[in-house]
Amino acid sequence: MRTWYFSEMAYHPAWEKGLERGSLRVNFPSENLDPREAGLLLNRYLDEFALCDEVGLDIMVNEHHSTATCMTVSVPMALSIIARETKKARLLSLGNPIANRPDPVRVAEEMAWLDCLSGGRIEIGLVKGAPYEIAPANSNPGRLMRRYWEAHDLVIKALSTSTGPFSWEGEFYQYRAVNIWPRPIQQPTPPIWMTGMSVDTGIAAAERGHVVGTLLSGGLAKPMYEAYRKRARELGWEAGPDRMAYAALIGVGNTREEGMRRAHQIADYVRTSAVVAEPFTNPPGYNSIGANVAMLRAGPRAHRMITDRNGVMIDHRTATVEQFMDTETVFAGTPDDVFNQLKAFNARMGGVGHLLFFGQGGHLSHQDAKENISLFGREVAPRLLELAVPEQAAAE
Amino acid sequence: MGRQLTVSGVSLEIEEKGQGRPILFLHPGEGLQANRPWMDALARSHRVIAPAHPGFGGSALPDWIGTVDDLAYLYLDLAQQLKLDGAVLAGNCFGGWIAAEMAVRNTSGFAGLLLAAPLGIKAGGVLDRDITDMHAIGRAEFMRLAWADPSKGEIDYTKLPDTELAGIARGREALCVFGWKPYMHNPRLKRWLHRIDIPTHLIWGEQDGIVSTAYGEAWKAEIPGATMETVPRAGHYPHWEQPDGFAARVKAFTDRI
Repeated sequence: MRTWYFSEMAYHPAWEKGLERGSLRVNFPSENLDPREAGLLLNRYLDEFALCDEVGLDIMVNEHHSTATCMTVSVPMALSIIARETKKARLLSLGNPIANRPDPVRVAEEMAWLDCLSGGRIEIGLVKGAPYEIAPANSNPGRLMRRYWEAHDLVIKALSTSTGPFSWEGEFYQYRAVNIWPRPIQQPTPPIWMTGMSVDTGIAAAERGHVVGTLLSGGLAKPMYEAYRKRARELGWEAGPDRMAYAALIGVGNTREEGMRRAHQIADYVRTSAVVAEPFTNPPGYNSIGANVAMLRAGPRAHRMITDRNGVMIDHRTATVEQFMDTETVFAGTPDDVFNQLKAFNARMGGVGHLLFFGQGGHLSHQDAKENISLFGREVAPRLLELAVPEQAAAE
Repeated sequence: MGRQLTVSGVSLEIEEKGQGRPILFLHPGEGLQANRPWMDALARSHRVIAPAHPGFGGSALPDWIGTVDDLAYLYLDLAQQLKLDGAVLAGNCFGGWIAAEMAVRNTSGFAGLLLAAPLGIKAGGVLDRDITDMHAIGRAEFMRLAWADPSKGEIDYTKLPDTELAGIARGREALCVFGWKPYMHNPRLKRWLHRIDIPTHLIWGEQDGIVSTAYGEAWKAEIPGATMETVPRAGHYPHWEQPDGFAARVKAFTDRI
């Protein structure tokens, strides 16, 4: 299991005001942000990313828009800096919200440029994006996935073509001369990742051999991984753990109490992340018809809950670290605790090759974040690298 | 459930009721809702023909249909297929937009155009929101703006069968496909409204919080000879909220054309 450190570069000083208003996203005015403080925080977060290289961790960056939960507005901008400040770490963009970006060729250009800049260290996530990203991008939620797949195919074609220009006359995108300079070092393309929470995503990723990632719920991850492995087998190949990724919040400390305290602070990310005004949570078309029928049937007062390993419903907005540990949203404690929890998780999931280590969240201080990263990098990550494929996955 | 009719390769669910001068009625973004009393009220003196738009209710949304232009041509084909003659072309909200797009193209078969709180044109400046962003407000706020009396409009979705809920969910997505960007309008339509060459009447609910009567005046100014009247105690869906008053106004219009 490789470890990729990741932080949303939050603007947590505004969280309390956002919570009072019932929305930290889209319609939370930016007068609640002090730009100078934002600059200090961004520099601090970039220092934390740079530290990862020293302690042997890989790095993942994502982006969100119009929100106090994440100030990374552009993955390529952040990765440009990180690429220059690191030497060894692989750099994962997870990802490019391609259904919300009007110009997929520009996405391919940016990723190829980063691959050159970093000496071939880039991995490329092509993601659907969260529902509340639709409004800031003003992208059409109708036929979203059709647009996603066309953008996906175009990005890959643009990255892997060195004998261009080629033309593209699709339903959503039209170009007359695609010919990206520079082209990527990694041929035909850097590794491609997808994200999702459903069996369908597992199948779609398997059909293309992409890495598939999900986050914060082991209960949702397992059927997706199983669908991936099954589909790969049907297509005549064995999908190893290196095709599966999982994002979790992790607090590690010299004592169990310290690890739990860090995890508690990082978990504020989950407690705030879903706080967004109602109309932006489910733009029509974002979710399947079946999911929308279920939501209409459940009525307006139902809200999102997740189920823990014992089938108990947990409310994301108020859960404790212990409850989050039962849903595999959080791993926490000493390095030994966290290693053992992840080892057991890896076995339950049938082998997960990539851990997306959410190691900073909001109120966790710079000092704590650095210690969390260092301790994980030195004491946990090397042992995870040696985790074998669990027997049941090999036998499945 | 209405009957299915295939038009230009698209299977449409069509409700039809009544005798008399035909009205091709194009429903609002909230759907056809044929079980509300509006249809019976109109059918007392007209033959009402009301298709569910592609994607809504029992109508298919093939991949190749994706713009209001497509809907305009599709319904012009429907009018031709039904051999409509001297009919009234009517539409409310999103359906009013489609009706106007049809009327700037071809009015043969129609004797009059009736637009009830249509969406579809850009009237104000870049910072003016002519049409309330219905997708940026909660459901309760939407109901408060769209209805003079929101309690009349409430639907208990938890009591509807899954097939009907699926039709609603598909319709909500279809509305986005057609009208997300530019939001519920065609920036070029206003410049072509002068082509409408049949008597045109605008009807507006006095409590419409989705599009104002001032927006209605902008429509009226662009369509040669258009008339306009307002309906008290009605919001954005005057045919649902004041079915008898709406039907009486439609009859007065059709009597004079």
